[in-house]
Amino acid sequence: MNRDDFYAGFNVDKSLAYKYDFNPYYCSIESGLNDPIIIDGKEFINLASNNYLGLAADKRVSQAIALAADEYGASMCGTPIATGSMVILKRLERRLAEFIGLQDSIVFPSGYQANCALFMSLAQIDDLIIIDHYAHASLIQGVRLVGCKVKPFLHNNMNHLKKLLEKTAKYKRVFVVTESVFSTEGSIAPFDRIVNLCAEFNAIPIIDDSHGIGVIGRSGRGILEDKDIENFNGLYTASLGKALANAGGIISGKRELIEYLKYSCPGLIYSTALPPPVLAGIEAVLDIVDKEFSILSERMWRYKRMISECFVDNGFNLTEGEAPITSILIKNLEDCACMAKLIHAKNILVTPFIPPSVPPNESKIRLIAGANLSQNTIDRALDKFKEIAKELSLK
Amino acid sequence: MTLEYRVMKIIEENLEEKVEFNANTDLRDELGLDSFAMVIIVNALEDEFGISIDAQDYRDINNVVDIVKSLKQYCPDLKES
Repeated sequence: MNRDDFYAGFNVDKSLAYKYDFNPYYCSIESGLNDPIIIDGKEFINLASNNYLGLAADKRVSQAIALAADEYGASMCGTPIATGSMVILKRLERRLAEFIGLQDSIVFPSGYQANCALFMSLAQIDDLIIIDHYAHASLIQGVRLVGCKVKPFLHNNMNHLKKLLEKTAKYKRVFVVTESVFSTEGSIAPFDRIVNLCAEFNAIPIIDDSHGIGVIGRSGRGILEDKDIENFNGLYTASLGKALANAGGIISGKRELIEYLKYSCPGLIYSTALPPPVLAGIEAVLDIVDKEFSILSERMWRYKRMISECFVDNGFNLTEGEAPITSILIKNLEDCACMAKLIHAKNILVTPFIPPSVPPNESKIRLIAGANLSQNTIDRALDKFKEIAKELSLK
Repeated sequence: MTLEYRVMKIIEENLEEKVEFNANTDLRDELGLDSFAMVIIVNALEDEFGISIDAQDYRDINNVVDIVKSLKQYCPDLKES
């Protein structure tokens, strides 16, 4: 093997970034998630973060983090099964389970890791995993690692799911995997119907509620509350780095299974536990959600409605989303790059999604307005989008 | 019903949205199907024809013509109509 050839094979195709003299990825943010945020010394309106409730830079949260850092230091330098097992971790795992409405939970270093690790511990080669076509990369990666038969079903299509469930006799066990809120477009899975179908066909439902926890449901408890699902018989995963504004992931479900995973899940056992300050930060966010969800949620939804209405009025092509996410569907990759550059030039930070993160011809620009933004900020952002619509003659 | 028509019907029923295509349309490059969309179609073909398509074979499939050719190898008894 020629080692020079080996390294030459790892080039990233940045032709689009060079063509438009603009790369929206890996920008250098110089502030916390404040209103505004600072990028390259300039003030930007942040419509890109998953900071739904706007708590990432909340002083109460950062104070709790600072106190925990003071008391416990930076890290427990151990995995959760060893010295990572600390009182805050155990308390948080119980609290998250109660918050969601399940028996027990495990905290992982990340949501991606939780999803990848789960299937390796749960499924076997003679099982079948049925998964939504547009499920998150971490779920797809996780199910593929098992090596069993994987059948995707058409996005949120219950007829197709039922058709697949009707042909499962030859498999030992069947899992149905989906997300609650599909984050590139904001659609919400009909998870109550999925749970019912799973009951009918004796399958285990698995839901990733990363964009639902702290966002949907009467009191922000996520998809199970949103869809009034009681006595949930499946598994639940979520990221703690979105509305819960910190880092990490969880798997939650029935006590026996969670106990089993604590001793058998390599992604947990061999990975250093989340640092105490992060755990304390999540607890502080949960305290705020318990007390202030209705106020924060009202603001988050109001901003979402204002943005969507402004976009429709000004000729932007939107995906139909029910979550507090607004996505401009641009389809063509180059048009998407162009639009992203225009928006960036107006000092607004958004998230462009291009293949392979989305299917080919499905490029999108996603906006999430956190509840920390002021009404004045939203008004200024909308004015800028009206200017863009005019410049592009969208109307 | 020709085999080609049967395959086209299966593809049509297993797409996220309605699109125009013909037997020579490249499913990935022209219809923009991602790897999971291709798996959905292959699973539907397997169910319809009672076969199990090898992963390498479906990586080589680009259009309906390829699928028909492949199906004839899997099921030599398949009739054209």
